[in-house]
Amino acid sequence: MMNGETIVFYLLAALTLVSALMAVTSRQIFRAAICLLLSLLGIAGIYFWLRYEFVAAVQIVVYAGGIAVLIIFSVFLTQRSGEDLPRQSRARMLSAAVAALTGLGLVMLQVLRHRFSGTTNPAIDNGVSAIGRRMLGVGEDGYALPFEVVSMLLLAAMIGCIVIAMRSKTKSS
Amino acid sequence: MWSFSKLTDLIHAWLYETFSPAWALALEMVMVGVAAIGLFAMLGLVLVIMERKVSAYMQIRLGPNRVGPKGMLQSLADTLKLLVKEGMTPNGVDRVLFNLAPLVAMIAAMLLLAPIAFAKDFQIWDLNIGVLYITAISSLNVIAILMAGWSSNNKYSLLGAMRSGAQIVSYELSAGLSILTIVVLSGSLQISDIVTSQSNGWWIFKGHIPAIIAFVIFLIAATAETNRAPFDMAEAESELTGGFHTEYSGMKFALFFLAEYINVFVVCAVGATLFLGGWMPLHIGSLDWFNHAMDYIPSSIWFFGKTFFLIFVMMWFRWTFPRLRIDQLLTLEWKYLLPIGMVNILLVTVIAILKWHF
Amino acid sequence: MFLKDYFNDIAQAVGSLLSGMRRTGYYFTHHKEIITEQYPDNRATLVLPERFRGEVVMPHNGQNEHRCTGCTACELACPNGTIKIVTKFELNAEGKRKKAVDAFVYHLELCTMCNLCIQACPTDAIKMAQSFEHSVYDRSQLTKILNKPESKLQEGVE
Repeated sequence: MMNGETIVFYLLAALTLVSALMAVTSRQIFRAAICLLLSLLGIAGIYFWLRYEFVAAVQIVVYAGGIAVLIIFSVFLTQRSGEDLPRQSRARMLSAAVAALTGLGLVMLQVLRHRFSGTTNPAIDNGVSAIGRRMLGVGEDGYALPFEVVSMLLLAAMIGCIVIAMRSKTKSS
Repeated sequence: MWSFSKLTDLIHAWLYETFSPAWALALEMVMVGVAAIGLFAMLGLVLVIMERKVSAYMQIRLGPNRVGPKGMLQSLADTLKLLVKEGMTPNGVDRVLFNLAPLVAMIAAMLLLAPIAFAKDFQIWDLNIGVLYITAISSLNVIAILMAGWSSNNKYSLLGAMRSGAQIVSYELSAGLSILTIVVLSGSLQISDIVTSQSNGWWIFKGHIPAIIAFVIFLIAATAETNRAPFDMAEAESELTGGFHTEYSGMKFALFFLAEYINVFVVCAVGATLFLGGWMPLHIGSLDWFNHAMDYIPSSIWFFGKTFFLIFVMMWFRWTFPRLRIDQLLTLEWKYLLPIGMVNILLVTVIAILKWHF
Repeated sequence: MFLKDYFNDIAQAVGSLLSGMRRTGYYFTHHKEIITEQYPDNRATLVLPERFRGEVVMPHNGQNEHRCTGCTACELACPNGTIKIVTKFELNAEGKRKKAVDAFVYHLELCTMCNLCIQACPTDAIKMAQSFEHSVYDRSQLTKILNKPESKLQEGVE
């Protein structure tokens, strides 16, 4: 039985998969970036479909608004971005395909093993305040430690950026 | 207070009685879509003529005054002209992306309309992350500009697109920070919660000086995010012959133009909702007779009045200030707006925790 | 102090922006300042600025007399050969042969309204008029003879 929700899900899934496939097969780098963006937006759409609005919005802010724009910017700054990319060697394509298929296989294995059953538990509260509390909570289901560790990683990356930028300046002067 | 909820409930009930739920839902979607497109067309016409008249009076000119009474039908005539013009696709452009870019701009602008409360109980989708949703979707706008700039295969377009990319990405930060101050004060991301939290006074009055600073920062950042002068680096007629839409003509150009004005409307609506209470009439604390008197003015008039006031302020900016250079633009953001915004949000947090706001 | 300079900068910037906005706000609310001329409609009431220069004319008085002696100072002063003076010799009251202007030829199509001829004229015979609707269907119509037919030199002008 196809009801509205299933149709929407399949449309979003098709958008995500097709544009992801086009992102890896397109030989124009800018088009590949746009396809990647569409694929990320499709995933955001699936989050919306699941009513995880917060995650969906964060997906759009971080991936579509941040990372995709950054990728497009670096495409702009590279030379000859309008030309076709050279065709990859057969060995490379093969190894990439094997890697991708292995990942897919592992995920499928888990999905097929898991027995999906209906539950009567109340739905998880996905309000923003609940997310915030868990993100900074130190109790049983709090994520304060991983959150802080990730922010340490970001800090390290930022310091690294500054160090790189500073060094090139002193050299030139 | 007079409310749209009775009308919408009536339509809703009637649709579900007459049709099966799926068809009723589909019909409601169509109705909302038609209403949104109608609003777009009206906004495009009104805002264009408003911009031209405001700019004319500010420059001691008369502005359009030939078509219709006092030139009020000028934008209609312009629209007709753009409609019948040939939609050119120049040689050497990336055809798919070139034709897709105006649509992306338009879709991004349309999506922004969803969480905006136009009047009491009159909102397309009151989702629980309303403000974050608007921030997220408005970041898609830059994609359309980058697409247009790159696919035009024109150095001016590319330069305009890169400038606007750098500009939007950096000004999003201070826009986000100033939005966050109100989120901190009202304690919710949901638009309806934010509006009801202002039932005893708007945040710009209740939030002391930090709210006013946040409002000013929001106005500046919103002007920058919509690529309007003095931040119109992406277009910069005198330098880039039109920037990212140099190669566009006819309806494709009109879509970019319309998307720009819709974005202006949306950011002003968001500003009005966050700082000036959205559809909430002017209420002062517990001064009941005054509040009741204000309630007699319909909520939609309050909303559109505030929004158009902010739009007017943005036009005032545009026709007063000269364009910034790109380095001045980034200096303003990174050395002034962002640090001030950060200190400001700290102050607001203290105020919110100690409940110093009214 | 760094912080003091920083906030001074901001205060100054805000002040100058506000003064600019006050100016445009003043113009926005004061519609009588509008300087647009709705030209073909207000032709009857059109007021041109005093110093506007439209074309060279030679004023004549009631007795069909002008003040041009035909000295060709204007012709010499003209940078682009707009003026050509044709002279004739006529006998004056004392029976002396005297140089007089026969035709003051003025090429409007060459004129740049530079005003040098008017400054050069020793007898104030020519001046600038404010008419500006000069369009005609043939270029030859722009070549004008400024002294009226049968006109004479005014008495006492040397």
